[in-house]
Amino acid sequence: MIRLEAVRVRVGDFVLEDISLAVPSGGYGLIIGPTGSGKTTLLEAIAGHEPLSEGRVILRDTDVTRASPEARRVGFVYQQYHLFPHLTVGENIGYGLRHAAPAVRAERVSELADSLGLLPLLPRTVRGLSGGEQQRIALARALAPRPTILLLDEPFAAVDPATRRVLRRELRTLHEREGITTLQVTHDFEDAMRLGDVVAVLAAGRIAQSGTPDSVFRYPNSAFVAEFIGTGTVLRGIVERIGESSPAERSDPGGNRFAARFLSNGLELEVVAEREGAAYAVIRPADLLLSRTAMPFPAPRNRFDAVVTRVERGSAVAAVHLDAGGNALVAAVMTTTAEELGLASGVPVIVAIKATAIHII
Amino acid sequence: MHLRTSPWSVTLWLLAALLVLFVAGPLLRLLLQASPASLGAAFSDRELVASIWLTIVTATSATALSLFLGVPLAYLLARVPFPGRRIVAGIVELPVVVPHPVAGIALLLFLGRQSAIGKGLGAMGLEFVNHVPGIVAGMLFVSAPIVVSAAREAFRSVDPKLERVARTLGDTGWTAFRQVTLPLAGRGIVAGGVLAWARSVSEFGSIVILTYNPKVASILIYDRFTLFGLPAAVPAAVVLLLIALAVFATVQLLAPDRAEHR
Repeated sequence: MIRLEAVRVRVGDFVLEDISLAVPSGGYGLIIGPTGSGKTTLLEAIAGHEPLSEGRVILRDTDVTRASPEARRVGFVYQQYHLFPHLTVGENIGYGLRHAAPAVRAERVSELADSLGLLPLLPRTVRGLSGGEQQRIALARALAPRPTILLLDEPFAAVDPATRRVLRRELRTLHEREGITTLQVTHDFEDAMRLGDVVAVLAAGRIAQSGTPDSVFRYPNSAFVAEFIGTGTVLRGIVERIGESSPAERSDPGGNRFAARFLSNGLELEVVAEREGAAYAVIRPADLLLSRTAMPFPAPRNRFDAVVTRVERGSAVAAVHLDAGGNALVAAVMTTTAEELGLASGVPVIVAIKATAIHII
Repeated sequence: MHLRTSPWSVTLWLLAALLVLFVAGPLLRLLLQASPASLGAAFSDRELVASIWLTIVTATSATALSLFLGVPLAYLLARVPFPGRRIVAGIVELPVVVPHPVAGIALLLFLGRQSAIGKGLGAMGLEFVNHVPGIVAGMLFVSAPIVVSAAREAFRSVDPKLERVARTLGDTGWTAFRQVTLPLAGRGIVAGGVLAWARSVSEFGSIVILTYNPKVASILIYDRFTLFGLPAAVPAAVVLLLIALAVFATVQLLAPDRAEHR
């Protein structure tokens, strides 16, 4: 278990402030945030490399705020791997087991090297290895002493996308097999969606939002979070209450949500809101339905015309960028559907979205 | 880089050749001056051999002290931000710009019997003026900056995060330093130590003021030159030059010229 209580860390002019976070035993937590938001500093503070000026770090139910890094028994993998250049691959992996019996050390090194496909590399020096190989060695080295807590600093940042996918899968398998409480730093929300049980979005030294990846993705609490995690479209506008009750209100009679109109740059959307006035509307790409003709959608409250400005085709899903009266939106459709609809730059489309799918923040 | 023949490249080569000749010429001339017979005689000259041994022993002691005191300072300067770090770095490099006789006079005032420190150390049996420790002090004063500078650069070239990784793998600060940083910075530190040793061997200005006797090799050569002339000084000078060349070759082996690998 990793628990941070109102942690404050100062490094030069940079301050991490009021960081509270909990990753349960065996859980996988992610800290995401832009460059310079303090992600690495936070991991280093947990590992004991940066002293806290306030707050507490609790690992495995023990307060380790004043403990030395070696006493905290955490595995740490840096973005740039930081393999020991004067040692072989095998010596790197076995570094944390130098005081173990040689047979125990050799067995553990072989076991990890085998599971990460590193066996042929064991006698080699670490110079000249690929990014993926170095990353696996760094991971194996951190796991060798069987830490119960693993801290990963952007472990996939310096590898190609194909290797990243493989590493992500391997990491998840290792995490489940070894039952390690893991906290990973990333700037990629896809890591959070695929790996994380808990996610915290860090911005300028503070946690902007934390929760399950799904809840953060669906209900970002600020335009920054929505834009940073790539939730999709974020529109700025005004919320005005309208009289009629919405399906949400009917299903949530005790709540304070009400049917409203969201006005943004000439676009008028029916939404469900909790307050009036200036707000942001967050629309997930998958919630926008596109058609070329006015076909009946299942109960959409909002329909409007738009023009396709760009189509990014992925292997399964295509991102369709739209312009609706000067508002930029992005929709996600199956690549095959995009082809069937003939979506291309300049093609007019009709966009539909349910009022309840628009998240007002 | 390939330089085409042009007035610019000719000028470059000419100026470079002039300086190389100016440095290599006198040294070559000195080596050629010594006949095998005179060198043999030099090695059977008891006073010269004793002087060279004294030089080697004192230079080695000064280098050991430079490393013992200078490596921790270099590590602090390279790794730990502390108030006044730049001032401390500047103080340690001061001997490079202080004329060596001036350093000798300063050391004489600081460690001589007339100073409180000199008196205190003298009471403990550690005499500097006209004693061997005075030679070591002079050598230490001029060679320590070399060790500190080389070690600091060597530590700077090692990523501090390597130590952090080692700490998370169970090492204490000292073990991480010994197992990771020191082996990686070792080559640079040793090269600095060898240069400091060579600088100690060649020191004259401060030692001649602090400890004229017993004579280290540089003072003995000067002594013979002023008392008996050039022929008496040459064999001793050649022996000292050969020692310096051996050290130079060692440094070249330890720290190959990076420019050649670009």
